[in-house]
Amino acid sequence: MSRFTRGLLPLTIANVKSYVRDRGALFWTIAFPVLFVVLFGSLFSGGTTKFTVGWVDQDQSAAATSLRQGFAAVSLLDLKDANQDDALAQMRDGKLDAVIVVPAGLGTALSSTGSTSTPFQLILYTDPSKQSASGTVQQVVAQVVGGINQTLSGKPPELAVQPQTLQTQNLTNAAYFVPSILAMALMQLGVFAAIPLVAQREKQILKRLSATPLARSTLVGSNVFTRLLIAVVQTLIIVGIGAVLFGVSVLQPLAVAALVVLGAVTFVSIGYVIASYARTEDSANTLASVVQFPLMFLSGIFFPIAFMPQWLQPVAAFLPLTYLGDALRQTMVGGAAYAPLYIDVLVLAGWLAVTFLISARYFRWQ
Amino acid sequence: MAVDAQPTDTHLDADGDVIVTEGLTKVFEGRGGPLRAVENLSLRVHRAEIFGLLGPNGAGKTTTVEILEGINKSDSGKVSVLGLDPNRDSTQLKERIGVQLQTAALYPNLTVVELIDVFRSFYKHSLPTSQLISEYGLEERKTGLTKELSGGQRQRLSVALAMVNDPELIFLDEPTTGLDPQARRSLWDRVAALKAEGRTVVMTTHYMEEAEQLCDRVAIMDHGRILELGTVDAVVSGHFKERSVRFATVPAFDDAHLAQLRAVTRVAHETDETVLYTTDVPATIGDLERLGERVGAKNLDVAVKRPTLEDVFLELTGRALRD
Ligand SMILES: Nc1ncnc2c1ncn2[C@@H]1O[C@H](COP(=O)(O)OP(=O)(O)OP(=O)(O)O)[C@@H](O)[C@H]1O
Ligand SMILES: [Mg+2]
Repeated sequence: MSRFTRGLLPLTIANVKSYVRDRGALFWTIAFPVLFVVLFGSLFSGGTTKFTVGWVDQDQSAAATSLRQGFAAVSLLDLKDANQDDALAQMRDGKLDAVIVVPAGLGTALSSTGSTSTPFQLILYTDPSKQSASGTVQQVVAQVVGGINQTLSGKPPELAVQPQTLQTQNLTNAAYFVPSILAMALMQLGVFAAIPLVAQREKQILKRLSATPLARSTLVGSNVFTRLLIAVVQTLIIVGIGAVLFGVSVLQPLAVAALVVLGAVTFVSIGYVIASYARTEDSANTLASVVQFPLMFLSGIFFPIAFMPQWLQPVAAFLPLTYLGDALRQTMVGGAAYAPLYIDVLVLAGWLAVTFLISARYFRWQ
Repeated sequence: MAVDAQPTDTHLDADGDVIVTEGLTKVFEGRGGPLRAVENLSLRVHRAEIFGLLGPNGAGKTTTVEILEGINKSDSGKVSVLGLDPNRDSTQLKERIGVQLQTAALYPNLTVVELIDVFRSFYKHSLPTSQLISEYGLEERKTGLTKELSGGQRQRLSVALAMVNDPELIFLDEPTTGLDPQARRSLWDRVAALKAEGRTVVMTTHYMEEAEQLCDRVAIMDHGRILELGTVDAVVSGHFKERSVRFATVPAFDDAHLAQLRAVTRVAHETDETVLYTTDVPATIGDLERLGERVGAKNLDVAVKRPTLEDVFLELTGRALRD
């Protein structure tokens, strides 16, 4: 066994046990983000029982009008007439949940008696990142089309739906804040990460450990692993609640997983810098709180940075949480990017490298 | 060449001893200027002995022990522990020593068994958890969280933790502070057993009775320096050739008369007792009784005491309270 791995697993298990038995810490890392997601969700996402769907009629035939009546009869749908460009633009802006396009030729196709067997294609635009909206609309449209096909009693041509996806720029509130809350939770987990070590230093537990062959790298490694485990649990809880309650799905699970690890490790490293400058557990706690609030409110995780006062925007451009939030948003729900994904990753990696060096140099063991 | 022939300055001849220090010095930079916590300290600890470090608060006992354990660095002087340099070979050394710190806390939210198991995982070789639990009387509390232990139980656990790696050299910094008399005696038995098993123990204590009972040799230190070092008997008899004869103070006696009695070297008063130091107990007591008859003070309740380590300690380090 190498010197690093000796004691690593038992110490990590001991850390997790200590953590789980500390009710206060458990509340802040598990219950708090859950409350946040539920609270924000109920405040902002409202009752989405009706979906606003753009209706683009390029055929202008009697058949198209009766088709429209069929859809309008469904109480879940609220149809808005528009031409295709306007409808898609409105959908990008978040004003429409979906767009149905009736291409020219429907009337002629239906009146010509049975010469062709290819179904006539309606086009349906939905946004896959809005899972519940797109799923419901797709189901409803399929049902309506199925009903119409039945009344046509199998006479060709039948109607079919050609699904199209459209990445909307303005996300629903839920889709916007679920990645934000995940980023916030990872940030909090990180900036408070070294508090246990500071407490152990204060109570001379670190001194006692230094009288054993346990390597310092193992001690730090187990502390970081403990935090990563908690980060994984937090991520599952937050993403799970987002999916179940608000229909927010994850577009790129692997990328999100990698970002969760990168984000957690970066903020843990920032937490170690905080611990390097604090003498006692109390002062480390105070310092971590002082750090977390500006991060939370200046990073544009709860509202787009463009909404910030002009003079504050460079601050946001400097803060790591801006980039973690942006990267998680891009990979979880899509939407407008603040920076390209690779920039997000580079900035986070830069913060990680710098803070790692600072804490490796200045962390006090005794 | 002549230059090569010079003895290297760092070499210490352990000569079979477990610990050798020469001219050990440690200076702390405090607010009130530099504080010399350990000053020019030289000592040797033999294999399989119990060595006691005694001294008033702030004497430098803990600092000395921590330098030997390799968790504190000396500023100058030479140290060899188990033939190793505690700074350079600290990982190797730590596999072989057991350490109980005076002030260290334990992981509060782990149970006794969990904590012992975690510590065992740090070492290449360790003793079974159940053996440690039973040897240190922790059976009843083995599934309790360490934060719920009483002070004495916690103290026993920290000694048990010092034993997890089956060490050949054990450092105990005030191991019996806060223990009830039963627990203290049971720990004495454990420490004596460690010695019987061939292990070496270096301990500090403020209980002189404990040092007399347990330690083969003691060092009395103050202000970072060793004032006296040797077996308890040698230390005591080196300081006090006399015995003390004590009795409840009789107003009719005056010190000038008492000092004239045969073999009396000194007269002292402790609370309401008079103490005569004498080189010949029967002669002094005979004279004292005749003196009593003359002044009408009969049936003096006389007690004879051998001087103790505590007498030497107080003599050497003074009676005034520190810090
Ligand atoms: N880390 C430190 N920084 C500054 N001064 C220190 C430090 N550690 C110890 N000292 C000082 O060094 C001196 C010796 O302390 P030490 O702890 O070795 O005494 P001790 O003999 O163990 O006392 P006690 O019986 O109270 O445990 C004391 O004056 C103490 O204040
Ligand atoms: Mg001490």
